[in-house]
Amino acid sequence: MPTIPERRNRMRHLVTSVAAAPLQGGGLDRFIDPFAQFLTDIANMEPVLLQLLAFGLLLGGVYALTALGLTMIFGVMDVINFAHGVFLVVGMYTVWLVSTTLGISPFIGIPIAAVVLFALGIGVHILTVEPIIEAPQQNQLIATLGVLLIIQSAIEIIFTPDPQQVELSLGSVQVGGVFIPLGQFYALLIALGTMLGVRAFLNRTDLGRKIRGTADNRDGARYVGINVPQINYLTFGIGAALAGVAGGSIALFQRFDPFTGEAYLINAFVIVILGGLGSFPGAFVGGLIVGMIQVFGGYYLPGTTSQVLIFLLFIGTLLVKPEGLFGGAEA
Amino acid sequence: MSTLESVREGYRTFDDQRYAPFVKGVALFALLAALPYIIEIDVAGMELAATLSLKVLILTVIYAYTAQSWNIMSGYTGQFSFGHAAFFGVGAYATQLLLTDVGLNPWIGMLIGGLLAGLYGLVIGALTFRFNLKGHYFALATLAFAELLRFVVTNMSELNGANGYFKPFPRDYGAEYGLAAFQFQTDLPYYYIILGFLLVVTVVSWAIKNSWVGLYFFAIREDERAAASVGVPSFRYKLVGVAVSAFFTALGGAYWSMYFNTIRPDTVFALFKNVEILLPAVVGGPGTLIGPIVGSFIVTPVSEVARTTFTDINGLDRIIYGAFLVAIVIYSPRGVVSWPSRARALWSRLKGDEEVSE
Repeated sequence: MPTIPERRNRMRHLVTSVAAAPLQGGGLDRFIDPFAQFLTDIANMEPVLLQLLAFGLLLGGVYALTALGLTMIFGVMDVINFAHGVFLVVGMYTVWLVSTTLGISPFIGIPIAAVVLFALGIGVHILTVEPIIEAPQQNQLIATLGVLLIIQSAIEIIFTPDPQQVELSLGSVQVGGVFIPLGQFYALLIALGTMLGVRAFLNRTDLGRKIRGTADNRDGARYVGINVPQINYLTFGIGAALAGVAGGSIALFQRFDPFTGEAYLINAFVIVILGGLGSFPGAFVGGLIVGMIQVFGGYYLPGTTSQVLIFLLFIGTLLVKPEGLFGGAEA
Repeated sequence: MSTLESVREGYRTFDDQRYAPFVKGVALFALLAALPYIIEIDVAGMELAATLSLKVLILTVIYAYTAQSWNIMSGYTGQFSFGHAAFFGVGAYATQLLLTDVGLNPWIGMLIGGLLAGLYGLVIGALTFRFNLKGHYFALATLAFAELLRFVVTNMSELNGANGYFKPFPRDYGAEYGLAAFQFQTDLPYYYIILGFLLVVTVVSWAIKNSWVGLYFFAIREDERAAASVGVPSFRYKLVGVAVSAFFTALGGAYWSMYFNTIRPDTVFALFKNVEILLPAVVGGPGTLIGPIVGSFIVTPVSEVARTTFTDINGLDRIIYGAFLVAIVIYSPRGVVSWPSRARALWSRLKGDEEVSE
C-alpha cells in the first residue's frame, strides 16, 4: 500500500507528465519541430516538397472520387449512407475478381464494378432505405449500418479477411525529379474524368436536372411532376456506382481487405462537409485538402497525428461554416 | 373471456395508481436481479445458461446502462449524439490511468473520469449548440469529437498509445479482491454492480423525466424555438443534458475497464462503440425509460449468442446481426416499446373487421 505522501508525489508526477505534457520539454517540441522542419524545407526549396505535393495531388483526387457518391446521396435524399465505405470495398473486390479469374484488364474491371454497384445500390435502396425515407434520421443511419455489416461480413466469408492485391505492375515515371507511380496516376485520371462526366450528366441531361431539382426541393420536385421515389433509387444507384469506380481505382495501386472501407468512409464524410453538401468542386477541393494533410502529415508528423489535424479541420468547418467551402453551389 | 376481462380491468385500476410505476420498476429490477439464477434453471434438460451465459447478461446490462445514459441527452433533449464513445473512453482511460500510475482507488478514479467526460461534453455542447448545429451536422460533429480523441490517444505515448492499459491486479494497488478494489474473481458480483449502476441511472432518468428539467428537455426536443419563445433557456438545458449523460456514460466506461482486462483506443473509442451505445435505446424506443433496457435485452444477446453459435464461419454472426438491425428499424421505427400498443391496435382492428363481416 503506497503511503499518502508517496501517492501525492506520484500524482504530482502524473499531472506534470500527462496534463502538462504539451507544455513541457519534449511535449510542445513534437508540435513545433515538425512545423519548423516544414518551414525550413520550404525556405530551402527542398525537392521533397515537390514530391509530397505530387503524392498529395494523386491521393486527393482519389479521395474526392470516394466522396462524390456520398455527397450525391446526402444532397438528394438527406441520408447519411454508412454503407458507402463498404461499397468502395465491393468495387475493389469486383476489379480484383474479374482481373484474376477472367483475366480481364483491371481497367475494364472498373466499369464492370460500376455496373455491379449500380445494381447493388438500387437493391439496397429498395430493401432498406426507401421504406424508412420519412422516418427519423437515426433509423436510416442504423439501417445503412446494418447493410455495412452484412456486405462486409459476406465479403469476409467469401474471400477471407486476408488482404488482396490486383496483379498490375505499371511501374512509375519520373518527371523533373518527381517520382509518379503510374497506378495512382491512372486512378487520378479516372477520378477527374468521372467527376467531369458526372458534372456534365447533372447539368446537361434531363435526368440530371431532375436529380438536381429534387436535391433543391423535394416537395417542389413532386409538384412539377418529378417521380421522386424513382429519382431516389436512381440517385442511390448512381452514388453506389461512383463508389464502385472509386474503389476500382484504389484497387489499381493499393492492397485491400474487407475492412478497408472504414478509413475511406470517415475521410469521405470529412470531404463532403469540408467541400459543402452536394457540391462537386467542393468535393474536389475537400479531397485535395484531406489528401495533402495526409501526405504532408504522414511525412512530418509522427504516427497518425495527421488524422487529428483532419478532424480538427472537420470540426472547425462544421462549426464556422457548416455549409462548407462551396456551400450553396449546385448539386 | 370474462376472467381475462376482469384481470384486464384490475390491471387498469392498478395502472392508474400513483405507486404503479414504482411497483413496476421494483418488479423489473427484481427480475433482473434474479436472472443469473433463472438462466440456470433446468427446463426439461435444457438450461438457458447453455446459450445465455452470465457474461452475456453482464454485457447486456452494460449496454442497457450506457443506452440509458445516452437517452438522457439524445432521447430526452432530442440532440442525437453519435459520439458517446468519447465519454465512454474518457471514463475507461481516466480510471485505468489513475489506477496504474497513481494507485488511486478505481471508485474515485471512476468519478474523476465521469467529471472529465462531463467537462468534455460541456465543451462539445458549448461549441455545437452555440453554432447551432442540427440533424446530420450535429451527429457528424459528435462523431468527429469521438474520433478525434481516438487518434489523440493513439498518438500519445504518455497514454501508452495504441497499446492501451492492462488492468493491474488488486495487490498492485494495495487491495484485496472485493468491492473496495472493484475486482472480483467471479462474474456474479460484477453483474450486481452493473445492475446497481443501471438502477441508479434509471432512477436519475425517472427523476429528470418527472421534474421541470425533464419538462424543459421534452419542450426542447419537440420544438426548440417554441420552447425558447416561452422562456425555456434551451442552450443551458441542452448543456445540462450533455453533461449528465456524459458523466454516466463515462462511469460505464470505467466499469468496462474494470471488468475486462485491457483497454485500447481501438476498443473503448472504437467507431462501432458509438453505435453499440445508442443502439439499444433506438431499438427499444428513444426517450422512454424502459426502452433502453428492453432494447439491450433484444440487441445484445442476439449479437453475443450469434457470435458464440456460429464460430466455424467467421463473420456469419455479423450478417445475422446486420439483417436484424435492418429489420428492426424498418418494421419498428418507433422502438420495441410501441409493440404492445401496436398489438392492441391490430387486435381491435381485427375484432372490428369481424364485427363488420358479421
